[in-house]
Amino acid sequence: MAIVTLEKTTARPAPLSETTALGWLRINLFSSVFNTVLTVISLYVVYLTVSSVFTWGYLDATFIADNRRECYKNSLTGACWAGIINWFNNMFYGRYPDAETWGVNSAAVILILWMAPLWMSRVRGKILIAVSVVVFYPFLAGYLFAGGAKSLLMNIMVTGAIVAFALNLLNTLAGLFTDTSIKEALIKVLGQSTAAEGTQRKVLFALLVLCFAVVFTLQSNWLVTEVSWTRWGGLFLTFVISGIAMALSLPLGIVLALGRRSELPAVRVLSTGFIEIFRSVPLITVLFMATTMFPLFMPDGFFLNNLVQVIIAVTLFNACYMAEIVRAGLQAIPKGQFEGAHTIGLGYWGTMGLIIMPQALKHMIPNIVGNLIGLLKDTTLVSIIGLFDVLGMLRSISKDVPWLGLHKEPLVFGGLLFFVICFSMSKYSRHLEFKLSAGSRR
Amino acid sequence: MSNESGDRTRSDEFSFFQDQRVRSGFYQVLAVAVVGWLVWYLISNTAHNLEARGMSTGFDFMQVSAGFDIEFKLLEYAPGVGTYADVFKIGVLNTLLISFFAIILSTVLGFFIGVLRLSNNWLVSKVSLAFVEVFRNVPLLIQIVFWYIGVFSLMPAVKKTLDLSFGAERLLLNNRGLYMAWPVPAEGFWMTVLAFGVAIVAALLIRHRALKRQAASGEQSNVLLLSLALLIILPLSVFFATGSPLAWDIPVLEGFNFVGGATVAPAFLALLASLSIYHAAQIAEAVRAGILSVNVGQGEAAKSIGLKPGRVMSLVVIPQAMPSIVPPLISNWMNLVKNSSLAIAVGYPDIVSLFMQTSLNQVGHAVEIVGLTMVFYMLVSLIISALLNIYNKRVQLVER
Repeated sequence: MAIVTLEKTTARPAPLSETTALGWLRINLFSSVFNTVLTVISLYVVYLTVSSVFTWGYLDATFIADNRRECYKNSLTGACWAGIINWFNNMFYGRYPDAETWGVNSAAVILILWMAPLWMSRVRGKILIAVSVVVFYPFLAGYLFAGGAKSLLMNIMVTGAIVAFALNLLNTLAGLFTDTSIKEALIKVLGQSTAAEGTQRKVLFALLVLCFAVVFTLQSNWLVTEVSWTRWGGLFLTFVISGIAMALSLPLGIVLALGRRSELPAVRVLSTGFIEIFRSVPLITVLFMATTMFPLFMPDGFFLNNLVQVIIAVTLFNACYMAEIVRAGLQAIPKGQFEGAHTIGLGYWGTMGLIIMPQALKHMIPNIVGNLIGLLKDTTLVSIIGLFDVLGMLRSISKDVPWLGLHKEPLVFGGLLFFVICFSMSKYSRHLEFKLSAGSRR
Repeated sequence: MSNESGDRTRSDEFSFFQDQRVRSGFYQVLAVAVVGWLVWYLISNTAHNLEARGMSTGFDFMQVSAGFDIEFKLLEYAPGVGTYADVFKIGVLNTLLISFFAIILSTVLGFFIGVLRLSNNWLVSKVSLAFVEVFRNVPLLIQIVFWYIGVFSLMPAVKKTLDLSFGAERLLLNNRGLYMAWPVPAEGFWMTVLAFGVAIVAALLIRHRALKRQAASGEQSNVLLLSLALLIILPLSVFFATGSPLAWDIPVLEGFNFVGGATVAPAFLALLASLSIYHAAQIAEAVRAGILSVNVGQGEAAKSIGLKPGRVMSLVVIPQAMPSIVPPLISNWMNLVKNSSLAIAVGYPDIVSLFMQTSLNQVGHAVEIVGLTMVFYMLVSLIISALLNIYNKRVQLVER
């Protein structure tokens, strides 16, 4: 005999301890005597920290003042943020002339606009976008930062950058609105969609050459006021150093990693030696080496400025860490992939470039972001050897006459600034890791 | 393909340049030649530049006496008497000293925070998460300078010295540093030391016996209390029996400063605090990841055979977590030693600030000085990674 009810039994409500806030509190904070004691202690610690920081940094703080004495008049115990606000421009641009800071700002905006399509799923041709950023952007940004008369190479590269940037913008619009790449959109606009592929290619190429020629003549009259690198500073300089070092150390790191995993003993020994030497010494010693020994390395009459020395040092140093990241990524690729690539007749570079690296890069991205965070933090060390990066600027506030001895606030502000940048980057990298592992997650 | 090659055999056509050995030999010779040329080019430039500037080379300068004073030193040194070799040794010792203490502190703190991170108490785990994220994401250099300028330099002046030993005047803190009473062993103190050594050996023996007994019969005996009692009571009783042969050198205010006892400069304290906290945050993450890497089933199985939570941790989870905690832990130690070079920012006389900066500015010899300093760091790294390799070998043996 079976007991059957025709109606479905309604679900009973979840127990109170699962649904109410009180139940949550009991489970998570007061489940035992020991846990309660821990909760009370941590509450006290949190209260002490938050209240003292809040009182110092906000309640008792002075935001508007002309010098430190006025801050003291307002409050003896509070923070004096007026000094930071007063130095805001210097902190971001260093001693860059105020009239020229638009160059820095527009370079930043261009970079954001250029890179943004990489995160848009509807936009086509992401690899080309990434390559164009790496190849052309540095020249455009470099010209916007340094200015002065352009050499022929600079003329060509700046033109290339402007054309590539414009194409990229159009491509983004085409992707967002019509879900096509700029190539298809242009063909359609020109009414050539039925023409042979060869004709299409010729039309597009002619168009590209025309664009290039027009932009080249237009931009040759464009002149940005020259700004010496000695006036660069602040967060801007920090980004310049870490950005260039990052862009250069990735390819160098890949080469070193391939060298280290090479089957040729001489290549392996050389790469391993190079990597291990730089990884076993602190960055500051490499920086000192750059400033004291690089001048001795140079041939007669050749002179590297301090900034270039520092960038070379940071790049060499970081490339070795990058090499280890790449190596770890390569090691994660099963041997079958190498063998499969060999079977279909690919040589060394074909195997690496088409089969192994694309897969390995996926494994490496979170670590590369981690390395970028570390690099950004390490760039503060250049203030020790006399460059005025963001930390150098922050520390010179206390030497400025109106703000003499204002030490704590700039450091706290700098810490906060780096925390915001690095923390959001590491959160993003963790999100990326999660997203990229979707295939192997069950 | 042209007609002529039609009648050639395959092996002829792919003869020389397609040969694996020839190609690999060629590439290797090319690589060595390029690197060799670069090195030769740099060396010849350097030699030329040194000659043009009339600078001498060689390590003779190490025997020249150095003219500057050193604030904090573990060796006898006087300006004008001590040589640059002495300066080098003092720098090395100072680097090792700060690294040693910071490694101990950061490891203890890191384990503590890492375990707290995994607490089932929501608030505790969030507070430790905040600790880790804040100290991981702020550059170490900013932290060091902050501790130096924002904390230890703002301590009360000498007149208003803080007494950390509750009125006993044995541990004093002011803006010139930390002053400690320092033990001075008198005649007969060696007997206490000897007693302590004997106690350690005895404790080890007791532990060995207890383990053997457990292996044979399964009976557990609590040796901890017995060993502790032995370790404390034996040396103490010898100490008092020999008439307390230990004097204290106590810091006393004389004029404008404290004299006597042992002094630790604010720079050392700042460096110690920041290095320990920064690396504790990193170690905490390693500890957390290590513990999480142990299969949940292991802990559950241990619970199901009736082990208490503490023993689950100490007998089942932690031993299995160690193989994945130790490698990042040791590489953290290595980073700590390297990061101690940031001492230069607060003027603690470590090897970089003493040797690479001050000495280099005084005598030049950039190549020799930079080389020596780097060799020192490389040696330290080599030793630490050798330790890691030994550990990895042992763990692997245990595993299979």
